[in-house]
Amino acid sequence: MALQCRLSGATFQSLKLATIPISSSSSRFIFRTLPKTLNLALFSRHSAPKAPPFSVLIRTLSAPAVAAAPAAETSDIKVVKPQWNAAIDFKWIRDNKEAVAVNIKNRNSNANLELVLQLYDKMLNLQKEVERLRGERNNVANKMKGKLEPAERQKLIEEGKNLKEALTTLEEDLVKLRDELQIEAQCIPNLTHPDVPIGWEDSSKLRNMVGSPRKFDFPVKDHLQLGKELDLFDFDAAAEVYSIEDSDQCLIGTAEIPVGGIHMDSIVAESALPLKYLAFSHCFRTEAGAAGTATRGLYRVHQFSKVEMFILCRQEESDMYHEELIKIEEDLFSSLGLHFKILDMATGDLGAPAYRKFDVEAWMPGLERYGEISSASNCTDYQSRRLGIRYRPSESPSTTSKKGKTNVAATKFVHTLNATACAVPRMLVCLLENFQQEDGSVSIPHPLRPFMGGVEAIYPKSR
Amino acid sequence: MALQCRLSGATFQSLKLATIPISSSSSRFIFRTLPKTLNLALFSRHSAPKAPPFSVLIRTLSAPAVAAAPAAETSDIKVVKPQWNAAIDFKWIRDNKEAVAVNIKNRNSNANLELVLQLYDKMLNLQKEVERLRGERNNVANKMKGKLEPAERQKLIEEGKNLKEALTTLEEDLVKLRDELQIEAQCIPNLTHPDVPIGWEDSSKLRNMVGSPRKFDFPVKDHLQLGKELDLFDFDAAAEVSGSKFYYLKNEAVMLEMALVNWTLTEVMKRGFTPLTTPEIVRSSVVEKCGFQPRGENTQVYSIEDSDQCLIGTAEIPVGGIHMDSIVAESALPLKYLAFSHCFRTEAGAAGTATRGLYRVHQFSKVEMFILCRQEESDMYHEELIKIEEDLFSSLGLHFKILDMATGDLGAPAYRKFDVEAWMPGLERYGEISSASNCTDYQSRRLGIRYRPSESPSTTSKKGKTNVAATKFVHTLNATACAVPRMLVCLLENFQQEDGSVSIPHPLRPFMGGVEAIYPKSR
Repeated sequence: MALQCRLSGATFQSLKLATIPISSSSSRFIFRTLPKTLNLALFSRHSAPKAPPFSVLIRTLSAPAVAAAPAAETSDIKVVKPQWNAAIDFKWIRDNKEAVAVNIKNRNSNANLELVLQLYDKMLNLQKEVERLRGERNNVANKMKGKLEPAERQKLIEEGKNLKEALTTLEEDLVKLRDELQIEAQCIPNLTHPDVPIGWEDSSKLRNMVGSPRKFDFPVKDHLQLGKELDLFDFDAAAEVYSIEDSDQCLIGTAEIPVGGIHMDSIVAESALPLKYLAFSHCFRTEAGAAGTATRGLYRVHQFSKVEMFILCRQEESDMYHEELIKIEEDLFSSLGLHFKILDMATGDLGAPAYRKFDVEAWMPGLERYGEISSASNCTDYQSRRLGIRYRPSESPSTTSKKGKTNVAATKFVHTLNATACAVPRMLVCLLENFQQEDGSVSIPHPLRPFMGGVEAIYPKSR
Repeated sequence: MALQCRLSGATFQSLKLATIPISSSSSRFIFRTLPKTLNLALFSRHSAPKAPPFSVLIRTLSAPAVAAAPAAETSDIKVVKPQWNAAIDFKWIRDNKEAVAVNIKNRNSNANLELVLQLYDKMLNLQKEVERLRGERNNVANKMKGKLEPAERQKLIEEGKNLKEALTTLEEDLVKLRDELQIEAQCIPNLTHPDVPIGWEDSSKLRNMVGSPRKFDFPVKDHLQLGKELDLFDFDAAAEVSGSKFYYLKNEAVMLEMALVNWTLTEVMKRGFTPLTTPEIVRSSVVEKCGFQPRGENTQVYSIEDSDQCLIGTAEIPVGGIHMDSIVAESALPLKYLAFSHCFRTEAGAAGTATRGLYRVHQFSKVEMFILCRQEESDMYHEELIKIEEDLFSSLGLHFKILDMATGDLGAPAYRKFDVEAWMPGLERYGEISSASNCTDYQSRRLGIRYRPSESPSTTSKKGKTNVAATKFVHTLNATACAVPRMLVCLLENFQQEDGSVSIPHPLRPFMGGVEAIYPKSR
C-alpha cells in the first residue's frame, strides 16, 4: 500500500492517507488503515480534489508556536507516524515559497504551505536546541573526567541527569515534529511545466488531433449493444476491491505501481538510464464515486488488462521522454485507425505527482463523445523522492563534488514517467463502435489481424 | 468462495469445511469462519487428508433419539445455518448406504454417514409428525365452523392453541434438523469411478507415459539459474514490493507466457471450446458455499478487506458460476469453455523444497477447460480432456506421465482425476503441470445447475399427463490446459542448451514473432 501511495498520490479522490493528501478538507488527515475510495489517475477525469466523500481521522493540533517550552507543547500534538519518508527538499521550498504557493493554488491542492514552513522552522530551531544541549552534556561529561571535589562531582552528576532528561524529551519532540512536517509536506504537489495551462478541464489545451469522426450512413450502435449482438461479453457486477484482508497488501490499479517499486530505495548507475519498461498486468479499481453515464458497459469497470510504459531517466531528459511517450501513443492509436485528440491537461487536472500530463481522448461514436483512452505523465522527481530512487552521475574531472576532495558525485533523484500503451476495455469500446458495419459485423483493424489468427471481422453468430 | 469450494473441493489437504470433508478428525465441524490449510487441487500433490492443523468448532449434539418430545431435544442442538443448500439425494444415500460407506472410507473422508442417516430418519419422522399435527389443526378449524356449545367451542379453541404452539415448535425443530442434516451430508464425498485405484499417492496408476527424460551431456541448470542468467525473472524486487513467492517476468519470459497462452487458446478453440476471460474477484458468499473461509489461518484464498469478495484460485470458479441456479436446455449441452485468468493462491501450509522459484507462487496465469454435459457423457468428455492435454504437451516436446489418481488423492468433488506430471530435469523429478477431473454432479448439486432433457413421445414423466421431463443435474469437468509458471519451468529446464541458451518449441515460435531461442544477454 505504501508503494501505491508513493506513486499515485495525486489523483485520489477520496484519500484517507496522510501520504497522499488530495482532500480539500481543511483538517489534516492522519491515517493508519487503508482507505476505500481510491481512484487512480488514469480513469478519473473528474478528479477534482474537492470534497472527499469519506470520513477522516482528525488530528488534534495545537496552534503552532515557537518551541520555547517543548515539553508542554508536545502533549497537544497527536501525530501518526508516516510509514515512509519522502526526500523532500525543504530548504528549496522555503527559498522558493512564493512560486510554491502559486503552484499549490493553481493545482487546487490543499497543501498547507504556511504550516510546512512553520514546522520546518520549528524543526530547525529544535534541532539547534538539541545540538546545544548535547554540547552541554558533553561538556559535563568531559568535566567529570578530571579530579573533582565530591560536592562538585555531585553537582555535575545532577546537571548531567537534568540535561539527559531534557535531551530525551527534546529528541522525542524532534521526532514528532519531523513526522508532522513529513506528513504536511508530502501534501505539496509537484511543480508544473511552464507551458501547462492554468485552470480546470476546459482550460486544457489541444495539442493536436488525428483523423476525424467517421461518418455513418446507418444507425450507430454502442459497444454494449454490439457486444450483446455479437455475443462478445457477459457483464456481472463486481464490488469494491482494495486491500487484502489480514495483510498489508492490496491489488494494483495500474502496473505503474509494481514497476515503480522495482528500483525502490536504490541507486542506479547513470549509465543504466534510461530504464524503459513495458508492463502488462490486470488492474483493479473500485471506481467509487464515479457515477453517471460515463460508467456504462466497458467504459468504467473494476478489473481490466493494461499495457503500461514506464521510464526512469536523468533529470535533464524527462521532457524529451515525455514527448517520446506521447509520440508512441499517437503512433499506436493512429495505426489502429482511431480518431483522437491529445490534450495538455490544465493544472487543476494534474493531480499531485504530474509535472505535466497529456491525455488522449478517442472518438466513441456509440457514446457520441470523446473518451479518455490513455494518459502520459511526467512525474519528474515526485515519485522518485518517495520511492527513494537515485542515480549516481558518472564521475568526470570537471565534476565539482560537495565533498571537495573525492570525485564521487552526489546522487540525484531520477525522473519517472508513465504512459498507457493500451487499456483494453476502452480500446474495445473504440474498436467495436468505430469499426461497426451496416450488417452488424465489426471489422478488425489490419495490424491486429495476424494476432487473431487472420480473423478479419467479427460476425453475428447464427443461433 | 462457495463457488471455489464447490468446484475444487476434492484435493484439499486440511479442510474444515463441512462441504469438503478432507480432514481425518473425528469431530464434526460446524463452521462459520474459515479454515486453514486449503491446498487447491492442481498444486497439492501431498494432499493427504490426515491431521488438519487447525482448531475446530465442536458442535454439541444430543444423542439421536426418535422424535418423541421434540421440544426438549432441540435445546441441545446448536447448529449454524448453512448459507446454501446442496441438492443431495438422501433417499439414494440411504438405499445405497453400504456402497456410500465404503466410498467414504476409501476416500479417507471424515463424513459421518451414520449421523446423516439418523438425522434423515429423524427428519422424515418429524415431517410426518408435523403433517399429522397440521391435519389435526385443520380438523379443529373445520369443527369450529359449525354451530357449537360455548363450552365446546372454548375447548376447541384451547386445543387449537395448543396444536398451534406444538406445531410452531416442531416446525422450528424441523428447520434446525434440515440445516444439521445439510451440513453433515455436504461432507459426503462424490462417488468413485470403478476403475480408480484404492489407496494413496503411491497407489495412483500410470495410464501412460509420453516421451522419455532427455539425456544431457552437460551440467543441467534449474529454472532459477537459467532465469537469472537469461534475465527472465526477478524474485528479489517482487519480494520487496509484494512479498515472497511473487515475481516479475522479464524479456523473453513475458513473450513466452503470452505465446503459451495464445497458442493454447488457439489450439483448444479448434476443438470447439468457447474462449472466456473471467472476473478474478468473486463473491465470498459463493466461495463460502464451497466451504472456503477467507478468514482461516491457512486458507488458500485471499479475501478482499471490508467486502464479501475473494480472489479466485482458478478460473474453474467464475466459470462454474456462469450457470449457477439455472436450467439449461439439453440441446445447449455440452457447454465447453476455455477460460484464461490470473489465479491467486496463498499456498499456506505448503513448505519444503517443492516451493522453489516458479514451482509454487502466489499469482500465476492459467488457461482452464471446463465442460458442462449430460450425465451419460461425462466419462467420454473426461477422456476427451485428457487427450487434449496429452496433445498439447506432446506438441511442445515435453516428457510426461499421466496418472489415474487413487481414491485418497481425489478430494471430495472428483469422481475420477487424471494428473499430468512432467519431467523437470532441474528439479530432478516429475512435477504436476495439469489435472483433469470429472466431478459428475457433485458441483452441479451445489451450484444448482440443471438441464431439461428434450421432450419426446416416449418420455415418461413423473407428472403423468404433461410431457415436461424432470430436470437432471449436469455433470461438470475441469482440466488445466496451461498453467504458465509450471510450463515455464518445464520449457526452460528441458530445452536448455550447453551454451546457456534455451530453445523455443516450434509451435510457440509464431506466437513469439519467430524468435527461436532465448540467448544470454551481453552485459
